[in-house]
Amino acid sequence: MFTVRKEQQRPKTSLLLLLPILLFLFIACLPLLYILLRAQEVGFKNALSLIFRDRVYELLRHTLLLDFTVTGASMIIGVTTAWCIERTNLWGKRMWNVLITIPFAVPAFISSYSWVSLSPMFEGFFGAFLVLTLYSYPLVHLPVAASLRGMNGSLEEVSHSLGYGRWQTFWRVIFPQLRPALFGGALLIALHTLAEFGALSLLRYDTFTTAIFDQYTMAFNGASAAMLTTVLLFLCLIFISLELYSRGKARYVSVGSGVARPQKPQSLGVFTPFALLGFALLTVLAVGIPLGRLVYWLLRGSSAQFPLTELLTNLGTTLAYGLGGALATLLIALPLVMLSIRARGTLSLLLERVPYFIHSLPGLVIGLTLVFFAVRYVPVLYQTSIVLIIAYVLLYVPLAQSSVRASYEQAPKRIEEVARSLGKGPLAVFFTVTLPLIIPGIGAGMALVTLKVMTELTATLLLRPTGVDTLAIQVWQHTANSEFAAAAPYAALLILISSVPVYVLTMRSFSSKRRGNL
Amino acid sequence: MIGKKVASTALSIVLVGALAACSTGKSDSDEKALTIYSGQHKEVTDAVAKDFTKKTGIKVNVREGSSNELAHQVAEEGDHSPADVIFTEETASLVMLSEKGLLAKASDKALHHISKQYEDANGKWVGLLARSRVVAYNPDEVKEQDLPKSVFDFASAKWKEKVAYVPTSGAFTNQISAMIKLYGQDKTKAWLEGLKKYGKSYKNNKIALDAVEKGNVSVALINNYYWDREAKEKGKEHMNSKLHYFGNGDIGDMISLSGAAIVKASEHKKEAQKFLEFATDLKGQQALTEASSQYPVNPKAKTQGMKPFSELHPPKGTLHLGKYSDGKQAIALLQEVGLL
Repeated sequence: MFTVRKEQQRPKTSLLLLLPILLFLFIACLPLLYILLRAQEVGFKNALSLIFRDRVYELLRHTLLLDFTVTGASMIIGVTTAWCIERTNLWGKRMWNVLITIPFAVPAFISSYSWVSLSPMFEGFFGAFLVLTLYSYPLVHLPVAASLRGMNGSLEEVSHSLGYGRWQTFWRVIFPQLRPALFGGALLIALHTLAEFGALSLLRYDTFTTAIFDQYTMAFNGASAAMLTTVLLFLCLIFISLELYSRGKARYVSVGSGVARPQKPQSLGVFTPFALLGFALLTVLAVGIPLGRLVYWLLRGSSAQFPLTELLTNLGTTLAYGLGGALATLLIALPLVMLSIRARGTLSLLLERVPYFIHSLPGLVIGLTLVFFAVRYVPVLYQTSIVLIIAYVLLYVPLAQSSVRASYEQAPKRIEEVARSLGKGPLAVFFTVTLPLIIPGIGAGMALVTLKVMTELTATLLLRPTGVDTLAIQVWQHTANSEFAAAAPYAALLILISSVPVYVLTMRSFSSKRRGNL
Repeated sequence: MIGKKVASTALSIVLVGALAACSTGKSDSDEKALTIYSGQHKEVTDAVAKDFTKKTGIKVNVREGSSNELAHQVAEEGDHSPADVIFTEETASLVMLSEKGLLAKASDKALHHISKQYEDANGKWVGLLARSRVVAYNPDEVKEQDLPKSVFDFASAKWKEKVAYVPTSGAFTNQISAMIKLYGQDKTKAWLEGLKKYGKSYKNNKIALDAVEKGNVSVALINNYYWDREAKEKGKEHMNSKLHYFGNGDIGDMISLSGAAIVKASEHKKEAQKFLEFATDLKGQQALTEASSQYPVNPKAKTQGMKPFSELHPPKGTLHLGKYSDGKQAIALLQEVGLL
């Protein structure tokens, strides 16, 4: 923290940065404190017996299998699609780009139902793998595509001129540059998969998160759930360190933006039909099936009348929470990113990772934590939107962080320094110089967090004011009772409004030119 | 540069708007409004709440959730709980709240409508609906005469991959509590292990019933009303599955209660008492049973289309489970077997 002061010289600025960060750190400690409190209630011996039992090994196997396969497959799909769209002469690139990003707008608990209702063979591991992969790969595709787009083509030309072939160039020149975007996306997927609940519960595949849920909804004391959560946090630590390790010591800074030269798309040649077939298949699986089933239920929905007023109220609530949650999240993410980039060091690096650690916690644990502390210490706020917004911040800061980070890294510090030397105050510099530069990252972060908040289920269920429903809650309540026709209008509306932020994410003007933008 | 300025201005407007919208998203805290935490199906609670408001003019806010979750929430909230009434699917969570001293006694008026066996001995909760465990079977997959004489027989290799069960449902846990009480720990454990090995577990009763309807499994161990409600909606002749009652006092036909209680921290106890009185009286009971396809506990209310309550042959001694009634032993056993 002292480095900040030294570099910026005016303590006022650093305080402005540090205040939200400290606030966030305080809130971020609460879930950990909650788990500790619950764990010590059972006592050490009992706690051990709750962790080291056959069921936990079974869950560990299930969770790891799913997590690695989903993350791996998403990485392969995401890199392939990004490369085809950004670097080849594939026919209909713009269309494919939009089509294959749509799955991002379809909540996994909705698409999982479409699959299960097709055939019970999609229950269990295979279905879980399929649904989650199809839902997750855009988290790799989007940043990798942005990264490919911003790459300096001259490096590849140098590589070719030195005698490397296309394949070798990809592995030796392109891939290393893709690593931050690729592994950043992969980390998010790995953490999401750890915390996924809705889809897996419908697909009858048990992981730690579904088990934590069962423990909580069945067993009255949360001790066992807390013990399972500690195992989950341990897994999360492993993933975060893997990602940090993959980043290595390399810095991805280039001095001056150079001249962006349009790159010549490579010809796919004989692979064209395969590529087209692959994209078509992906579109059918990831978009066609879920949306097709939804349309089917909408048309068949004779059993359910069309609840227009309820739909509109829920839509309003969903939008308000989505945008409010995103705004609050950005207010925390921005200082975190600024500090970690402008004052690089071990401390700021660790600080920047704290939100990722919390990110692997299921919404349920975050929800319970906030119920516990709000009721005891600030009962006025209990069951108000404010606590819910805090939950969203805890859940989604990393999503905003990675977007903002991508564009902030390109905002040269020198421009800020020049502005300061011309006599502008730090706040004025931020609003007139820095903010306009990082607007793309902020836009992408807003879009991503809004999307996630709008589809969030479990924390919302626990913390919302009584009588307030979001679209996601309506969908969940109806699908849990297998009332698909009744769920369909809510699901359709949810997907429709979710596609707005998704479209924002695919828009080129909002993606950064140099680095991955997720 | 100008484009970016416009973009950032637009962004700020959106943000401010969103914040403003959020602050109005709070529910208004009406002085006399009653807050019910309900684990029952939404339509059921809504039906009785609507009639109650019509009769008394007292507004009702319903918070939906799973019974145990809501009970847990009430426990966590303690003295600050905004809940006035809690209405749960099974009585186990009410027993637990009562043990923690978080419930207020129901008024004599609320208790006198129903017979003693359907309420707590100390008057801390009242049963509102009764339901029976049943076997839903698909006649294309298995003939009724081939169904076993006891639910215990389903946990065997003969029924491999054919039996759907819902280990995480409150009704199932309740049945396990009763089994431990009547047959002891060992026999119950053996049954659970058999089910885990040979049966197919589902996350909820409705999905398990769907699996029978589609022929993915032959039978499902569920509660009667899942089938009765669907049959009422679709018509019995359109159902692919049928209900089977063992009819011999087997624990597979066990009856359990769904009940409600007044939360001690409630600031609207008078209104809450009124609600319980209404819900146990003829009108409330009729609304409850019609919306839920569960059996009324007030003998004056009538059921329609369901197997008459008098024709059921449930096992004896399972309505009140004594020291097993809070479900803790059942859950410990479920954890031991690895179903939880």
